[in-house]
Amino acid sequence: MGSVITSEDLSRSFDGRLALDGLAFDVEEGEIVALLGPNGAGKTTTVRLLNGVLRPDRGHATVLGLDPSVDGTALRRRTGVLTETAGLDDRLTARENLVLVAGIRGMKTAEARRRAGDLLERLGMAPDADRLVQGFSTGQRKRVALALALLHDPEVLFLDEPTSGLDPAASRDVVELIADLARERRRTVIVCTHFLGDAGRLCHRMAVLDQGRLRAFGTTEELAAALWRGTVVDIDLGRQAGEREVAAMAACAGVLDSQSTPGGAQLRVLDREAVPPLVAALVNRGVPVYAAVPRPPTLEDVYFALQQGERADEGVGRT
Amino acid sequence: MMGSSPVAAVIRKDLTAIRRSKAVIIPMIAVPFLLLVVLPIGIGLAARSQKHADVSGFLSRLPDNVVAPIVRLPAGEQLVVLVSGYLLAPLFLIVPLMVAAVLAADAFAGEKERRTIETLLHLPIPDRQLFYAKVLGAFLPAVAVSWLGFLLFAVVTNTVAWPVTHRIFVPTRLWAVVIVWVAPAVAALGMGVMVRVSARAKTAQEANQLGGAVILPLLFLAVGQSTGLLLVTLPIAVGIGAAVWAIAVLLIVRGANRFTRDRLLSG
Repeated sequence: MGSVITSEDLSRSFDGRLALDGLAFDVEEGEIVALLGPNGAGKTTTVRLLNGVLRPDRGHATVLGLDPSVDGTALRRRTGVLTETAGLDDRLTARENLVLVAGIRGMKTAEARRRAGDLLERLGMAPDADRLVQGFSTGQRKRVALALALLHDPEVLFLDEPTSGLDPAASRDVVELIADLARERRRTVIVCTHFLGDAGRLCHRMAVLDQGRLRAFGTTEELAAALWRGTVVDIDLGRQAGEREVAAMAACAGVLDSQSTPGGAQLRVLDREAVPPLVAALVNRGVPVYAAVPRPPTLEDVYFALQQGERADEGVGRT
Repeated sequence: MMGSSPVAAVIRKDLTAIRRSKAVIIPMIAVPFLLLVVLPIGIGLAARSQKHADVSGFLSRLPDNVVAPIVRLPAGEQLVVLVSGYLLAPLFLIVPLMVAAVLAADAFAGEKERRTIETLLHLPIPDRQLFYAKVLGAFLPAVAVSWLGFLLFAVVTNTVAWPVTHRIFVPTRLWAVVIVWVAPAVAALGMGVMVRVSARAKTAQEANQLGGAVILPLLFLAVGQSTGLLLVTLPIAVGIGAAVWAIAVLLIVRGANRFTRDRLLSG
């Protein structure tokens, strides 16, 4: 299994502002990697650079063994892109959007029509295939745009917010479709997303970008090991914890930080041994405790900690 | 070298979309219809009714070689031939310039406005071919509309003048040069300017506003000079067409050489 995407010191600025600063990462064949980060973090610039739409100011990348800034056209024959705005022409029907773009990709019309029909069917858009895109909802546009990205069976997929605007069922279908592509067809997928839940379920590794810099790269567990110390404990009090109760928990041995939640409180503790004295302290204060559940940190926990510039080692509490 | 397939596919996609766009189609049809059908009918009918109008004063100001074919005509035909065959000519060159400018303004700026540009740029078509596809996508409809418009103009003009002339007098040989040679050159010139403006603008409206500063003087020049074009000799008309072509090709080739996806997104 070799690297399908490699990036070394990849950098690009616009009008003197660094949009991407020294990106270095590798993506393996059949791997799904999430690009996470707030707006302006450099996710779209990364996709544009990796697909040869922009040229780097500094650094180098290869995708499918090709240099995007040299072999952009050849590379784009083998990649598919779902842009954040879906990018469909409102004046055309869903099927026309697909078939006409297939023509630009060099597909024969009969093959394009067959493939477009199959994909629209699979994505639940068959009944609307011959309607103008103009009247489509965001979710319908997203599904047609996803069909557009998959039309030529690309080896590498760049998907920008593939589930935004979709209802939960459609979102689940799309996540399954992407997972199948990677698992069964060994397609490599880069997903830009704000949906940490989808990223955590779908992606093998996460690249967290912030202000153009790669802040962290790895599996959720690897990120947690590198960026997170301790164990998360969800305390169920049947109501939101008051300020004095939060302070009392924070004062217990082994508690690194604490915050109230609608159902009680969430704490970060050194290890699970800190839980029994913590529960005892609450009970001694006459506070009923319905549950205290230690769990490993989720992607959300790690991501938000990172976003706030927090390092567990620095002992700075979350807000 | 330019492979034809992706270029043709981009043009096919653009033309399919243009056919559905009322905002583009209506001015593309209405303006030529007004200039090349309605106006010639009105003016032709008015000129036809003035069978005894004396145009000798006007003709005396024009070069002899130009007025010769007109003064040879019976007096009753002179006004209608002069007006419909010569003086309405400026209207004709407005059409290719306007249609090319409207479509070329939409070429890149319209894609940006509709947020379809990103999809287009991620497709496997080289920068230069993409630029030429956009140029041709504006040029071909501009020439088609112009030629169709002229066909209607010729039918209308000859029909209106028939009771007086009893013959087909449009197109003349000079008209043919204007239609086949000069009009496409004017369309190419309008496009050469507007496609480059369109690549820099964020919306088609902005492209039209920016391009208007360049296109309007060209339009006035076309209007001002095209009457003269029909009053010059055939070789000079061919030469003027060649000069316009040369400028247009220079602008388009320079535009193609400078065009990159990166510049389009960075600008």
